[in-house]
Amino acid sequence: MAQGMLGVFLEIDSACESIAALRKQNVGKITVFTPTPRHEFDHALQPPKSPVRIYTLVGALSGATFGYWVSIWGSNYWPIIVGGKAISTWIPYTIFAFELMVLIGGLSTVAGLFIHSRVPRLTMTVGYDPRFSGSHYGVWVECLPERLKEAETILRQAGAEEVRGEQ
Amino acid sequence: MATLAEPGLDHNDGPKRPNIARAGLQLPAVKDYAQVDREIIATLRPTKAWFTLLMASITCLGIGAASWIYQIYSGLGVAGYSPPVMWGVYIITFVFWIGIGHAGTLISAILYLFRAGFRTTIYRCAEAMTVFAVMTAGLFPIIHIGRPWKFFWLIPYPNWRLLWPNFKSPLVWDVFAISTYLTISVTFLFIGLLPDIATLRDAEKNPIKKQMLSLLSFGWRNSENEWRHFARAYLFLAAFSTPLVLSVHSVVSFDFSMALVPGWHTTIFAPYFVAGAIFSGMGMVYTIIIPIRKFFKLEHYVTLNVMDAGAKLTLFTSMVVGCAYIVEFFIAWYGGVKVEQEYFYNRVFGQWWYAAWIMLTCNMILPLSLFSQKLRRNPTWLFILSLFINIGMWFERFVIIVPGLSHEFEPWQWSGYRPTWVDFGILLGSFGWFFMWFLLFIKQLPVIAIAEVKEIVPPRTRKSAAHVHAGGH
Repeated sequence: MAQGMLGVFLEIDSACESIAALRKQNVGKITVFTPTPRHEFDHALQPPKSPVRIYTLVGALSGATFGYWVSIWGSNYWPIIVGGKAISTWIPYTIFAFELMVLIGGLSTVAGLFIHSRVPRLTMTVGYDPRFSGSHYGVWVECLPERLKEAETILRQAGAEEVRGEQ
Repeated sequence: MATLAEPGLDHNDGPKRPNIARAGLQLPAVKDYAQVDREIIATLRPTKAWFTLLMASITCLGIGAASWIYQIYSGLGVAGYSPPVMWGVYIITFVFWIGIGHAGTLISAILYLFRAGFRTTIYRCAEAMTVFAVMTAGLFPIIHIGRPWKFFWLIPYPNWRLLWPNFKSPLVWDVFAISTYLTISVTFLFIGLLPDIATLRDAEKNPIKKQMLSLLSFGWRNSENEWRHFARAYLFLAAFSTPLVLSVHSVVSFDFSMALVPGWHTTIFAPYFVAGAIFSGMGMVYTIIIPIRKFFKLEHYVTLNVMDAGAKLTLFTSMVVGCAYIVEFFIAWYGGVKVEQEYFYNRVFGQWWYAAWIMLTCNMILPLSLFSQKLRRNPTWLFILSLFINIGMWFERFVIIVPGLSHEFEPWQWSGYRPTWVDFGILLGSFGWFFMWFLLFIKQLPVIAIAEVKEIVPPRTRKSAAHVHAGGH
């Protein structure tokens, strides 16, 4: 079970300062909660690039391929024969390829978002406070029991409004 | 996401030259996150005015439903169709509502990619409008077919009914385009709503409502990890929606331009329809947002700078549409095709003169008033103008569809068209249906995106907190 220390901050610079100190001391795994995306946290945490783009690319390519395939297969299997005209023709079928590229690409993007954000989530798990969707920032440090005190000290020194241990 | 705050600027809401709504100038009266939560969540409380409007919408919907039931009972003949004009009010209204939907995606996706700061406080409203407008539009092919229980015949899947899917038909393209558009618009709206639903969940005191909001928020926690993936997903959805919005109305225009009907068979239709759709959508955005801004006391969110920037977009699209009207006449003259020339003469000076002049006045002439900065910043005028735009754009679709069918190549094909009370009842019902959903939406979910507004509000820092404690502003 996750065990750690949660700091609740009202000021963004205090929260960033605590993150920098926690990272320097390598206290544990840090999770930041913020009511809105802030580039300050990106600078403080330096997270890797989101892999959602891979889902988008794979979904879009699959959708475009399926769009061409379904229209060509449908036309060949149920041919509407008009003299002088090809049964399958790629120009109008690009419309199906495009629409399905957008549809499947868009839905895959959402799937990527959900998978990597771990939503839907049935429980809020430890380390969350309802104030984090309001006007407070949260820094949750998941760490070993022997380092909890150190985490608490860092969070308090940075100016946390409230610090509490959770598990 | 869209913009970054510029703390320390001298904010005010006066006219700017050049008059571009920049992030730092957007919300001078919004000071902190708590204010955003408090004021936007306050809009969710039902009021008498809201209830009255909802009842009015449901009454209109009832009239529409009664008219439709009468039509189903009596047959499609009561709808005013007479050969060769077999596309009338229902197809006009279908194209009208599809067009309305376009401004939502324009504001939420295209302006997001262009980092246009003024979209922040109006995009949620426009996105919801898109979803409900496309839902409304989707009813019309079903109403138009006369036997709605056979609506599944519209779906192009292989079957044993001797109806083979024709993948070269624009009507089949339309099914794919509009289904995709509805799905992506709903997805885009819902993804944008997730953080705001989480905010409502955390602020909710009623345990049953809290439980429902918890389910609807999917357990969103506002973690940095979630935001990182959210920002990327939102960007890609916007990138997909941008060409999608252009494709959907292009495909709708192909329903006409692929046909050998005078006035329809023209290559200008795709850009002409797209520009018209965005223009009509902007009209409906103003029709909706101006009363919301006033009755919910959100003038400091939907500021005059926001109205001004949107009005410029409306003016621009009006001029594109106006240009398309002129080009149509030019090509009819320059092309030298007699049937085309007679069709356009008949449109403006013949039997459809009233519709054409309503269209030209509402869509080309009245919007020119927006060259005046004073009028661009006048919500009353913008609201009145938006009503004219809605009327003008409905008549634009009338002018495209009916005169073409009523004045084809041979004189024996020339005819008239007179909509009946059933047509108008269903048209009224469509407005009732649209506004009913919209009114229900605005009392259940935030009409302004809380998380995105917070993004442009300067965050609290130790320095700013010390300044406030010292008595600063």
